[in-house]
Amino acid sequence: MTKQSQNLLRKAAVSGVASALLVACLTEASSAATTSSATRLGAPDVTINVAIAYPAPSKAALAAFTKATGISVNYSYIQWDNLQTKIAAAAEAHTYFADVTDVDWSKVGEYYQTKWFTPLNKYFNVASLPAQYPQVASFVRNGELLAMPSDASLLVTDVNTKDFAKAGIMKMPTTFAQYQADLDKIQSQGVVAHPLDIPFAAAEGLSTYWYEMTAAFGGQVLSSSYKPEFTSPSSAGYKAMTWMVAAYKDGLVPKGNLALDDYQGFSDDQAENLTASVFSDYSGDIGTVYDVPSSSKVVHQIEYIPTPGTNGPAPNLANPDGIGIPVMAKHVTAAVQFIKWYDESSNQAAFAGANGAATSVSGFPLPANNSGLALLVSSGKVPGAAELAILTKDHSRAIFPAGAPPWYPAFSNAVYTNLHSAAAGQESVASAISNIASQIASLAG
Amino acid sequence: MVAPLVVFIGALAIYPTVLTIIEAFFHSDPLTPPDHFVGFGNFAAVFANSQVRHSIENTGWYALFGVVLTVAFGTGIALLLQRPFRGRGVLLAIVILPWALPGVVEGVIWSWIYNPTFGVLDSVLKSAHLIGQYQLFIGSHQIETILLIALVQVWQITPLAALLVLAATQSIPDELYESARVDGATWYQHITRITLPLARPAIAVATAEALVMSINIFDQVYVLNAAATTGSSLMSQTYFITFQDLNFGQGYALSLFATVATILLSLLILKIVYRKVEYS
Repeated sequence: MTKQSQNLLRKAAVSGVASALLVACLTEASSAATTSSATRLGAPDVTINVAIAYPAPSKAALAAFTKATGISVNYSYIQWDNLQTKIAAAAEAHTYFADVTDVDWSKVGEYYQTKWFTPLNKYFNVASLPAQYPQVASFVRNGELLAMPSDASLLVTDVNTKDFAKAGIMKMPTTFAQYQADLDKIQSQGVVAHPLDIPFAAAEGLSTYWYEMTAAFGGQVLSSSYKPEFTSPSSAGYKAMTWMVAAYKDGLVPKGNLALDDYQGFSDDQAENLTASVFSDYSGDIGTVYDVPSSSKVVHQIEYIPTPGTNGPAPNLANPDGIGIPVMAKHVTAAVQFIKWYDESSNQAAFAGANGAATSVSGFPLPANNSGLALLVSSGKVPGAAELAILTKDHSRAIFPAGAPPWYPAFSNAVYTNLHSAAAGQESVASAISNIASQIASLAG
Repeated sequence: MVAPLVVFIGALAIYPTVLTIIEAFFHSDPLTPPDHFVGFGNFAAVFANSQVRHSIENTGWYALFGVVLTVAFGTGIALLLQRPFRGRGVLLAIVILPWALPGVVEGVIWSWIYNPTFGVLDSVLKSAHLIGQYQLFIGSHQIETILLIALVQVWQITPLAALLVLAATQSIPDELYESARVDGATWYQHITRITLPLARPAIAVATAEALVMSINIFDQVYVLNAAATTGSSLMSQTYFITFQDLNFGQGYALSLFATVATILLSLLILKIVYRKVEYS
C-alpha cells in the first residue's frame, strides 16, 4: 500500500466513522430541533444548519429572520458537552456539520491552532468591537476573530440576604477577609450549617471556581505566555486552592458537594437554602434559578454583590459563549447574516428576558453587547440586571490574558481532577499543584 | 438476500474496526499535525499515563462486580420466574424495564438515589438507624464508588441475563424434574443438578454479555463520577483522550486495547462456563 493510498484510506475511513456518528447525533438532535421552515414566508433562498448549546429563539423570531433575509434556519439545540464532541468529530473527519455553531471561550486557542473555524475578520471590524462587546477579547487570538460573542457571561458572587440578616450582617462584605468572617458567623450562629457552595465534582465548574478565587486573591493561574503562576505557596493560585480545600474539609462547604457539579450546586444547595452564598456563580442565575418559585426556596432572597477581593472588589472573570462558522460550512454568507441577526441588541435583550418569557431563551445569561445590556436593564424584567451590567462593563476580565491556550481542555481536566482529589483527601494541595504544573509542562512541550 | 445485512455490518462494524486498527498506529492529533506512522508509540504513551493505568484497574473492578452481580441476579430472577404463576407476565415486563432505559437516564435517576443531601439511599439508611447522618457514597472511596456505579449498570443489564437464562430453563424437559422428584430430589438439588447445568450455555452468554458491558461502562461513570479518577473507567478515559485532548491516535489505541481485552476475556469465559447441551 502506497503512502498516498494509505492516507486516502485513513481519511475515507475517518470520514465514514464520523459520518456514521454524525448521522446518529443529528438524529438524536433532531428530536430537540426547532425549525423555522414550517413558518417561513415565501421561498427561502437557502437553508442553514445552526447547532448551538442554547434552546432556539422563538419561532416568531426565526420566522422574522427568514422573512427578512430569505434564509431558512434549521436550528438544533444540543447539550454543551455533546456539541463539543460533534464539532471535533466532524472537523477531524473534514465533514460538514453545521453552518453556525458554538465556540466556547475555552475552545478558542484550540480552534485557532486546528483551524477548524473560519476567521471572521472579513465580516466584522475587529478593532471597533470592544467598544460594544465587552467580552470579545475572549474570541480573538493573534488578531484573528474566531467567533462573535453570542452572550456575555461572567463569574459573580451572590449572597442570601435573609441568611446574612439573620446572622446580623446588614452590610455586605467587600473584602475576602470580611466575606470569610461573615460565612463563619452564619455557620457559628446556626443560620446555615454549611454556608458556602463550591461544586467539588471533577468537572469544568470546579476549575472556573478556582480561577475566580485566584483572581480574588489578587492573581491569575497562567501568565500571558501560559506559564503557571500558582506553584509558589505565596501565590494567589496556591492560596486559593488551599482555601477552597480547607473550606471543604472544615465544613464550610456541604460534604455532599464532592459529588455536585456547578449547576447541581446552584439548584441543590443555594436554591434549597442549604448554603448562603456562592462565590463564583453564573451571571443570570437569580432570574433563571433562584427566583423561580417552582424550584427554589429562596425567591427574592439572593442578591449579586461585587466579588470580594483582597483589598476590595475583585475582577469577575468572563466565560462567554460565541458562535462561529466551521471551515466546512456550506453557506458562509448566510451564516454571517445569522450571526449578525443573533447579535442584534434587541434580539440579545429579548433572549435574556427583556420582553418576557415568550421571547426569552432558557438559561441565556446576558446580552453580548452594551446596547443589549442597556435594553435589558431598562426593561426592568430581569432581577439584578443593573448590577450585572455594571460588573460586565467595569469588572469583567478574560480568564487568560492571551486567550485560552490550545491545550486548555487537558489543562482544565488536570485542574479539576486534582482539586477534586485534594478535597477528597486523596492527595495534598501541594501534590495537586505539582501535578497541574507538570501537566502544563507536558502540554506546552 | 443477505446482501443488505452484509453491507450494513460491513459499513458500520467491520470497516470502522479495520480503520481503528490502522489509526491506532498513527500519530493523529490536530493540535500537533501532521499525522504520521508511530508504530506502537500510541500504546506506549497511553500505558505510560497513570490516569489510564488507574482507569484500567478500575475497569477490572467494574468487570468483576458487573459480571458476578449480573449473573447472580439474572440467574436468580430466572429461577424465580421459571414456573408459571399468576402475574408472571406482568412481573416479567417490570423486570425488563431497566433494560429499556438509556444509560445516561439511569445515571441521572441513580444520582438522585445516591445524592448525599436528599438522596433516597441516605434517607432509608437513616430511617433504619444504620447511619447517624447523611453520607457521601460516591467519590470518597475507590471500591465503594465503583461498586455503587457498577450497581447502576447491573440494574440495567440484569434483565437481559435473566431473559437469556429464563429462555434456557424453559427448554429443559419436565421429565427430568419428574424423574428427580420420584428419586426424592430436593428443590435445591433440582436447581444445582438439573437447572443450572442445563442452563450453562445461556449463563455463559449472559456472563460474556455482562463482561462486554462492564468493560465498556461509560454513561453511568460520566454522570455519577464526572472525571474523577476515583471511579474513572477505560471508556471514560478513552473519551477524554479522544474528544477533550483531541489525541485521536491515542484514543484509537485505547479503543483497540479495550476491544482486544474484551474479546480475549469473553473467549476465556465462554471456554470456562460454556457447555454444549442437547436434548434427545
